[in-house]
Amino acid sequence: MSRQRLGLDEGWPGLQGFSRDASATRPATDPITILEAVEVPIVVVRRDSTIAYFNRAAADLLGLSPSDIGQTSRDIPVLAALPRLEHQCSHVVNTGVDSRVDFRDEDKWFVVRIAPYKTGDRQVDGTVLTFTNVTAFRAGLDHAIYERECTKAIINTVADPLVVLDAEQRIQSGNRAFYKMFGLSRDETQGVPLNDLGNGAFELALLREQLKEILADSDVFQSVEVPHVLTAKGERTLILDAHPLSFPGHSERRVLVTFQDITARKQAEAAKDLRSEEELRRSEAFLAEGQRLSLTGSFCCKVETDEITWSEQLYRIFEFEPGTPVTIERINARVHPEDVPMMTERIERAYGTGADFDYSHRLLMPDGSVKYVNAIAHGNRDAEGRLEYIGAVQDVTQRRMSDEALAKARSELTKVAGVTSLGVLTASIAHEVNQPLSGIITNASTCLRMLDADPPNLDGARETARRTIRDGNRASDVITRLRALFSKKEFALEPLDLNEATREVIALSLSELQSNSVMVQSELADDLPSVTGDRIQLQQVILNLVRNASDAMAGVEDRPRQLTIRTELDEEDRVCLTVLDVGPGLQTQNADTLFVPFYTTKTDGMGIGLSVSRSIIESHHGRLWAAPNDGPGAKFSFSIPRSLEAVTL
Amino acid sequence: MTTARTLVSVVDDDESVRESLPDLLNELGFSVQVFSSAEEFLGSDFVGLTKCLILDIAMPGMSGLELQEELKLRRSRIPIVFITAQKDDEIRPALIQRGAVECLFKPFSDTSLLSAVNAALRVA
Repeated sequence: MSRQRLGLDEGWPGLQGFSRDASATRPATDPITILEAVEVPIVVVRRDSTIAYFNRAAADLLGLSPSDIGQTSRDIPVLAALPRLEHQCSHVVNTGVDSRVDFRDEDKWFVVRIAPYKTGDRQVDGTVLTFTNVTAFRAGLDHAIYERECTKAIINTVADPLVVLDAEQRIQSGNRAFYKMFGLSRDETQGVPLNDLGNGAFELALLREQLKEILADSDVFQSVEVPHVLTAKGERTLILDAHPLSFPGHSERRVLVTFQDITARKQAEAAKDLRSEEELRRSEAFLAEGQRLSLTGSFCCKVETDEITWSEQLYRIFEFEPGTPVTIERINARVHPEDVPMMTERIERAYGTGADFDYSHRLLMPDGSVKYVNAIAHGNRDAEGRLEYIGAVQDVTQRRMSDEALAKARSELTKVAGVTSLGVLTASIAHEVNQPLSGIITNASTCLRMLDADPPNLDGARETARRTIRDGNRASDVITRLRALFSKKEFALEPLDLNEATREVIALSLSELQSNSVMVQSELADDLPSVTGDRIQLQQVILNLVRNASDAMAGVEDRPRQLTIRTELDEEDRVCLTVLDVGPGLQTQNADTLFVPFYTTKTDGMGIGLSVSRSIIESHHGRLWAAPNDGPGAKFSFSIPRSLEAVTL
Repeated sequence: MTTARTLVSVVDDDESVRESLPDLLNELGFSVQVFSSAEEFLGSDFVGLTKCLILDIAMPGMSGLELQEELKLRRSRIPIVFITAQKDDEIRPALIQRGAVECLFKPFSDTSLLSAVNAALRVA
């Protein structure tokens, strides 16, 4: 069958050399036999386009049968589908130059080589068509083309500019973003050194050297920030990165350079820096103002290095030149000499344990004035475990001064109050007596001098002697008045409003009560009738009861030290005053013991207050008694008759 | 004789002092003016003429200490001898520190008065 198909000897001289008797056995080297064995489809076409020969592979591929020998290629549908095959063949025959056409058989691709068929005398008699299967190659190519297109699309879609440089750092190709960035076309940049772009901004040694290394053999590239790159959008700051590109079979390396525009980020950072700087400045200003107003300075002290940082206000408090270095020695020189040992000891103890410290001390300023300061500090260990103290120092001089002034005023008031409660001021007696005594002595001295004069001034002496007697009588009057004050029998009787007298006592003792943390509640009855009595003496009694109540509550810590003063008119038409406290109450079974002279529960008391008070009230025909309070504490009351007639002198 | 005498002024609200002191000071050789209050003294024509001021401390109205301050404000350098019936040992050094020449506690002797006034005049 194959023999018939391979009818090469049918009237075509060119192949006669191969023609043999069909029955003759062909040797293994017979060209026909070789052609039959070749897997490459081969078709031989004569000058006149008729098929002269095809091998088995061609018959299989093109579906040829022996009857197709002698047919023109036009008559074979498969060959007719090859574009302009006839024309190509005659061109090859005429020129003797090979030609190629593509041929597709379903999913197979072939390249058809059209080569001239030469006879022995170099005469071109036809063409030899060899079909090379390029399907695998074609698929690879397709894939490569596809990949390339994808990559190209990706690269052109990427917003960041990319460029490939050759070994001389000249631009090979870039993506769209790259050309757009510099406002240049592909042609304008092809082969241009990178350094020529961006107004010379890329001329950085770091960049050039790194690119050189990467183009040699390095794979490492440290990003380079390039500022002031002149682009189509003006000056930009770019970050350049680079990756080596090497191709198998190509010795020359190239480099892919990426550009990241960080101008906006830079600007935002700068703005943020500016903003946070402004915020910092503002909060620092707030802090400084707060420190100034509160007279509080702050400090930080690193124990290990003795490094001390002070706030402005602290410099002001210590009256150091602002910004000058602060040392322990300088601080100690300012601290009041009497306080230095205490402060040193406290600080050393704190440094030893890292504990917080809190103490008050004085500063002795260069002008001799004294400042009182409170220092408080918190110990803290930093990341390396080193101890540091952060603290504050407050100037409390003014507060201290007013505290002292208050204490002084209070003690003076207490003195006055104490004097009042005794009824007699020793100094006041002295004053009263010393005035006339002074007159007596002066007059007597004058008298003597007048008598000693030559001649003696008798009239003058008489006059001064008379004055001496008069002043002596005045001194005597003072003693008489004082006796009356003590006698209990002498009253300065007057109608008086007990509420008003009580209010005066409260006003007088308020400061003392406040300093003892006693709250006073007065419940004074409206329309209380006036009573007749000695105002001063009754006020002494009230004051005595108030002080006792206050003293009784000195140890009370678990409840408010409430002191109540109440006035009322009782059922027997007596004006009644009650003082209630919330102290420990009456400590004795018999309340009357309280009124025994020299009985006292106080360590510093004389024990005469209540007995004197009772005698004063009794001289007003009244009654003074003690009773337990309804709650905690004690209740002391007195009542006196309201009518004048009831008081007997 | 009187014109040549040194003027000592006495300011005291106590009448017996105002009565007795001038006679004694006269006997001691001084010319004397008495005033019952600090205000009266300041309002008088004798402020500039006074060579020594004998001044009570506790007085109604302006006290002796306030008068001393007022005189300081007026740049007057009259030496002052305070007198007081209030015996207070602490007050004397305080007054002297504040510029007083002396502080006498009533009753005082004629000799202590004389030495105080003489000391004041030496200061002046």
